[in-house]
Amino acid sequence: MGNLGKLFVVAKREYMERIRSRWFIVMTLLVPAIFAGAMLFPIYVAARSSASGSALRNIAIVDATGTGLGEQIATTLRTDTTLGPATDSIAPRVVVTTPADLPAKERELQAQVAQPNSLIGYLVLTDSTLTGNLARYAGRNASTINDIDRLRTIVRQEVMIARLQREGVRADVVKDIATTTFRLKSERITERGRSGSGTGGFLAGIIVGVLLFMSIVFHGQNVLTGVLEEKSTRVAEVVISSVKPEVLLAGKVLGVGGVGLTQQAAWLGITAYLMSFVTPILTKGLTGPAAAAASDQFGGGFATISMATIALILVYFIIGFVFYASLYAAAGSMANSEQEAKQAAAPVLILLMSTWLLVQTILVNPNSKLAVALSWFPWSSPIIVPLRIGLTTVSPFTIAGSIVVAILGCVGAVWLSARIYRVGMLMYGKKPSFGEVAKWIRYA
Amino acid sequence: MSDLAIDIRKVVKRFDEHVAVRELSLEVPRGSVYGLLGPNGAGKTTTIRMILDVLLPDAGSIAIFGRPNTDYGVLDKVGYLPEERGLYKKMQVRRVLLFLAELKGMRAADVAPRIDEWLERFSLVTPEKNWGDAKIDELSRGMQQKVQFIATLLHDPDLVILDEPFSGLDPINAQALKDAVLELKRRGKTVIFSTHVMDNAEKMCDSVCIIARGEKVLDGSMTDVKRNAGTRNVALGLTGGARNGVTEVLRDSQLVRKFDDTNNYFELELAPNADAQLLLRRLIDAGASIERFELMQPSLHQIFLQRVGAAGVETGMSGHG
Repeated sequence: MGNLGKLFVVAKREYMERIRSRWFIVMTLLVPAIFAGAMLFPIYVAARSSASGSALRNIAIVDATGTGLGEQIATTLRTDTTLGPATDSIAPRVVVTTPADLPAKERELQAQVAQPNSLIGYLVLTDSTLTGNLARYAGRNASTINDIDRLRTIVRQEVMIARLQREGVRADVVKDIATTTFRLKSERITERGRSGSGTGGFLAGIIVGVLLFMSIVFHGQNVLTGVLEEKSTRVAEVVISSVKPEVLLAGKVLGVGGVGLTQQAAWLGITAYLMSFVTPILTKGLTGPAAAAASDQFGGGFATISMATIALILVYFIIGFVFYASLYAAAGSMANSEQEAKQAAAPVLILLMSTWLLVQTILVNPNSKLAVALSWFPWSSPIIVPLRIGLTTVSPFTIAGSIVVAILGCVGAVWLSARIYRVGMLMYGKKPSFGEVAKWIRYA
Repeated sequence: MSDLAIDIRKVVKRFDEHVAVRELSLEVPRGSVYGLLGPNGAGKTTTIRMILDVLLPDAGSIAIFGRPNTDYGVLDKVGYLPEERGLYKKMQVRRVLLFLAELKGMRAADVAPRIDEWLERFSLVTPEKNWGDAKIDELSRGMQQKVQFIATLLHDPDLVILDEPFSGLDPINAQALKDAVLELKRRGKTVIFSTHVMDNAEKMCDSVCIIARGEKVLDGSMTDVKRNAGTRNVALGLTGGARNGVTEVLRDSQLVRKFDDTNNYFELELAPNADAQLLLRRLIDAGASIERFELMQPSLHQIFLQRVGAAGVETGMSGHG
């Protein structure tokens, strides 16, 4: 049987044994759950906070202005859809009073609010409210920033309407102007034209970066432990007597890489499904600008990723994975124990982390000199370039060039690793020094 | 096709300053049981690893069944049981066996029924439990040895290489291994095994090679090795002591170099090139009543000690032979 057939046999074993493991199944299901959770949480909070807004309808309004301002505010509270669907079942109670009776009324309401399952709070409107200065609110939800914010906006709006009307502006015009809402929608412009929302692209870029980095670290470590297992159980010798070490190394990297791709596909698939399935439930009843913003932020970013971009990300993942996994394999073959393996893998991890630590800088300015430079090193380009593609426009020359350089880097890494691996797999006992490893590379 | 299962010519392997194998040449006849003998650190495992292309020789050539061992598919016909044994711990027995057989170029569909056969043969499938479905680390040490042995033979190799196969085996499994080796020989396979236990080698091998310090000390068929080992003694027992004619035969310097007479029992040292069978015939012709006639060849153990000696074991060497 040729080397290609054996390569396939090795890769198949690596792939199947890992896919079958309990860990794989747990990780595959858990990560999307966490991802979806992290993304859905803000939506959930938005939905929740608007639902709690209906508490604002269960308040009393003590109107000592003598102008019917309390009634106006009550109507607005009842019909404002950001507080939930308009309803008549729970309506704010308006208590019209005079400044003299105010303290007595307040005491009365205070007692009511103190009892559970009754009023949430009460709003006090006085003459100084009308002059645009002050209104008071007391209630159990006084610490809920969302509620207080909402209430302040509504009172301000109604005071403004009342004052404009007093100045003789037409009522419908006043209403129209006062309820102006404003949303700033940002769109990215690239050479291919406008493409989706800016924040969406940013988010997608981060997610792709995190995913690439995590997969390379996680599955690279998997290659390392796999190699170490073969060495420490001594099964390596039987295997190497049937297949060349280079083929074994390559098969291993391919098999584990396949597991990584499978897992990512599962992650993205499950996350997308969860998002599309759960988002409508969470945002039900959430209308207007909030819902639009939410869907913009989460759905929009991913919708803008083209098939070509996905293909590129895939290419970079494969290159980056092969580069790091083969180095991890070499590290594993040098070691005799988990402890030694960690030490041997430290240089690889440093290489990987040095890239990762710069990611934040690149997120802020994806066109900086640093970002451009890092696109050309084989150890950083597989993470940096996909990130930049998500954030800005990367020239085809840079993409093609970085791929070529990265592939050359891969060839070098695989060549180097195969030599270390060939000797290291059969060396037991003492941990080799750098000098010895250099010798292996020369003589293997 | 070559008549030699293995033809090693002037192979050299150096590790740093230390020469593990120097100018070693070996010829292993096809269909024979061949013993690679030597003290620890003699270069046995290094030699075996070079045969299997696990290590590359610095010089020299190695051919298996007449083809270089680096040729495509040549090693697919070889089964190897390394000294350091071990299998994937978390993997199912059946899957490990399938994987190793597939690496030897077998098709999965062909291997599956053979796995069942072998598992039954080594009683790893019993009415209570099918160990084929268990994971390796659920097996006892003895069972793991069996699985490893199955892995060596599953692809029906023409050449089987066993490195220190008896180490760590209990007497029952050791006997099973001996039987298995003899069965392989009956089926025309070639078996090479390395050992430093001369007793096993003496009983099983057709040919042997003794190496020490990476060099060949002697090799050849077991009979040749013994014949060339020098002195050959005969233990002779006669009822009623030596009669006249008999004493004459014993005094023939063409046949007997010297003899030690203790009335009914004699210890003779044969003359160089003398034929023990001729001596026996002459004694019978002379009317001797023979109670015992035993050719006392030196044991392999004695030859080994004599040729390699204590000096053959290099001090400070450890690890693999």
